Amino acid sequence: MKKPSDVVGVILLLAVLLLGPLLVPVSVSGAAVYAVIYAIAAIGLSLLMGLAGQVSLGHAAFFAVGAYTQAILVTRYEINGGIAAVVAVGLAMLVGLLVGIPLLRLRGHYLALATLGLGIIVTVIAIETPFLGATSGIFGIPKPDFGGRVYDSPDEYLWLLTPVIVLGIILARNLVDSRIGRALGAVNDSEVAAETLGVDTYRLRLKVFVLSAGYAGLAGVFFAHWLAVVNPNSANFALSVEFLLIAVLGGLGTVWGAVVGGFAVEFLDEGLRDVVPLIVPGATGEVQLIGFGVILTLVMIFLPGGLHQAFRGLVGLDGRRRSRQGKKTTTLTSQGSPESDDEGPLLAREGRPAPGSTLLSVTGLTKRYGGVVAVDDVDFDVMAGEIVALIGPNGAGKTTCFNMISGVTAPSSGSVMLSGERIDGRKPHVFARHRATRTFQNLQVFGSATVLGNVMVGRHLRSRVGLLRSMLGLAARAEERAIASSSRGVIGLLGLTEDADRPAADLPFGRQRLMEVARALATEPDLLLLDEPMAGLSGAERRDLATLLRRLRAGGMAIILVEHDVEAVLALADRVAVLDDGVMIALGRPEEIRTDPAVLAAYLGVEDDDPEAVAAVHELATGTGPEDAGGER
Amino acid sequence: MSDFFQLVVAGLSQGAIYALIAMGFAAIFSVSEIINLAQGEFAAMAGLIALSATGAGLPLPVAMLIALLSVGLVAVVMQRVTIAPVKRMTTLTSIILTLGVSTALKALMLLIYGPDARGLPALPGSNFVVAGVSIRAQDLWILGITLVVAGAVIFFYDRTVLGKALRACAEQPVAARLVGISPRRATTIAFLIAGLLGAIGGLLASPISLTQWDSGLTLGLKGFVAATLGGLVSIRAAVLGGLVLGVLEALVAGYIDSGYRDAVAFVVLIVVLVARPGGVFSRQAQARV
Repeated sequence: MKKPSDVVGVILLLAVLLLGPLLVPVSVSGAAVYAVIYAIAAIGLSLLMGLAGQVSLGHAAFFAVGAYTQAILVTRYEINGGIAAVVAVGLAMLVGLLVGIPLLRLRGHYLALATLGLGIIVTVIAIETPFLGATSGIFGIPKPDFGGRVYDSPDEYLWLLTPVIVLGIILARNLVDSRIGRALGAVNDSEVAAETLGVDTYRLRLKVFVLSAGYAGLAGVFFAHWLAVVNPNSANFALSVEFLLIAVLGGLGTVWGAVVGGFAVEFLDEGLRDVVPLIVPGATGEVQLIGFGVILTLVMIFLPGGLHQAFRGLVGLDGRRRSRQGKKTTTLTSQGSPESDDEGPLLAREGRPAPGSTLLSVTGLTKRYGGVVAVDDVDFDVMAGEIVALIGPNGAGKTTCFNMISGVTAPSSGSVMLSGERIDGRKPHVFARHRATRTFQNLQVFGSATVLGNVMVGRHLRSRVGLLRSMLGLAARAEERAIASSSRGVIGLLGLTEDADRPAADLPFGRQRLMEVARALATEPDLLLLDEPMAGLSGAERRDLATLLRRLRAGGMAIILVEHDVEAVLALADRVAVLDDGVMIALGRPEEIRTDPAVLAAYLGVEDDDPEAVAAVHELATGTGPEDAGGER
Repeated sequence: MSDFFQLVVAGLSQGAIYALIAMGFAAIFSVSEIINLAQGEFAAMAGLIALSATGAGLPLPVAMLIALLSVGLVAVVMQRVTIAPVKRMTTLTSIILTLGVSTALKALMLLIYGPDARGLPALPGSNFVVAGVSIRAQDLWILGITLVVAGAVIFFYDRTVLGKALRACAEQPVAARLVGISPRRATTIAFLIAGLLGAIGGLLASPISLTQWDSGLTLGLKGFVAATLGGLVSIRAAVLGGLVLGVLEALVAGYIDSGYRDAVAFVVLIVVLVARPGGVFSRQAQARV
């Protein structure tokens, strides 16, 4: 735990759970036992929804797997409860893994509906299998006893549960604040950008899903011992809805919300079961669902952040206010410039391919959309330590080329070789793993993070603390410090130091663009793809960026640039490729491109409503570029 | 062999119900990218409303009409009150929101109609036997009405201005607005269509499989699986998906164990999603990610 609020929370919870039972009647302690057990399951579900952006509508299935496994191991095989619990949680996670492997590749609603189906399946299997006790289930599960105590009263059982939930909370909080939590938060803001920074979305989501199944399984274990009976109802839909309501009411992704939600929903449940039959005479069965459904709907419409959002609003931690203050301070002090003005090489790296050796090799790259050919049979190579510009009129296929090279879209045909390995059709995180990354023409800012938070995601591949070590907090702190300091270094290179702690969404357009470049550089790439990096920048910022790119080139980095600002491109690039209507019509040094008849024709042929192209034609024809890039190096 | 055909007939009849629910999923998803988890509740609700109307002495056709119109109204009100006010509708939001509505509707039915399962009287006609296969009149009604309704829905989307505009809404919201239909109004109409389709399914199914407050859960899930076979957007594929799922279920129930009937849909869902996430019967081969 890093935050003081977590420490306060843990102390409060310990006080309530340890001292509470002495002060309240047994019936309240009894309800509190269920509240804590359900909260454990809901913590996992909250992580799944908040971090992975996915929802399970059948989380009771994992709960039931844990409960049944524990019941069978303890009653039939007389296995020690602790060992049985490890097996039970492991089995719940295994089921989660098997369901998650095919489904987490797809959009969110498939996992939701499939888990809903899983709940039904588990119920069917439980009812149909004599070994599982069919409809009557398994009974006679003993209350746990160890350390000379039998945990058989609500008060005793709450004390047994206390260390479990506290540990569950600490592990989950550590995860949310870790490198993994940061990466998943980025995925929720922009999956494609997180992927191009090396975040393997699918694997991380799968891990969180399996973890959430584990939390549900653990809750099932304690449920089995407390109720002494496990039957097919423990997988039923009403219970899954209850878990979901706890997580949603508390606030998605907030661990503490799930704990508060657990108590709120349990007491609501008890209350509704008593009150509804009074209002509707003769009502029986799952009458509490009326309240669950209505509250779930109301929360989603009026309070999507749940009780957590309401609490923050009350104590004035509202995000908007903070960002407004941030804006005020920076309007006074902004307009930073790169901290150092020297022209030496930057971000050189041991083991980088030698300048002049081929880094990227594109062959026959083609993309068809229906009958339209957006990119047609494009070939080019890029060497380490050179800047290649990709220019052409609007709709020429430049961004589509970038998308195919970086794995955002798969080519219809052709190949992309990066450092000698074929990567076309692979996901963007594979591109990033080969030390290559990109920025986006349509900005892909991680809007829920600060500038520093954005750039730290870029360090994802240059740090290694995984899910388990994140949760345990092992070595994570030192690494977090290293990630933050190297990220601040890169932020300084782009002249964004003043803005480092501002919410990224508050930055003006041009500075968001520079932040994307910083984020990309944080991955320490050998190959950098920049999609219109100059758009929205001031004249001074453009010059600074050009200087930076030259210094990166001097350090041995290869850069491909899509840019509308032809003047800047001809000044900067070693070689220029010209696309027109998906076809590469020229590839050569800037002075060759300047006089290439096909290029002139292409630019002259464009319609007048593209002022940048018209300006470019003018520049090309008159040769008014400020300096000749050929003589630069 | 007559066993086999007997199972297929029963499966087709059950599958037609799934097809009607599946068309409802596709109608809403293709316009607004929302998965409406209350789709099954529309069916259960229609059955229960018609049951209480016949219980009050009304003739069956009148009771059915009342049920149809009431459910259509509920669907429109649901969209207006719960879907329309949400500004940022993500997949996650839409799932939790419609789950909330579906849960509330379920509980409301439990409170109003109680927990018992009941069935509407079957539509008129006598059962008969062809080549050793006995066919219930209700089976023919179900298949006939489903095919007519499916034809009408396909005609609506392919041939009428309003139907084409609805489809356009999903792909080109701006263009759709230009021809005078706002995405919000399109979503309302889609919910109305989905409500009516679900209600027809619920009314037809009730004499055979009975209706109770939570019938909508499995009906909804199976309708979704059927719609998934068509990639969630194609009406034709949704109908085909429903029929195939119904037959598969009947065969599993007949030859393996009737207890596993409800497991079929889930297995089919996983297999389809692994093999062809864009749908088995649709030409669009890749899921839009």
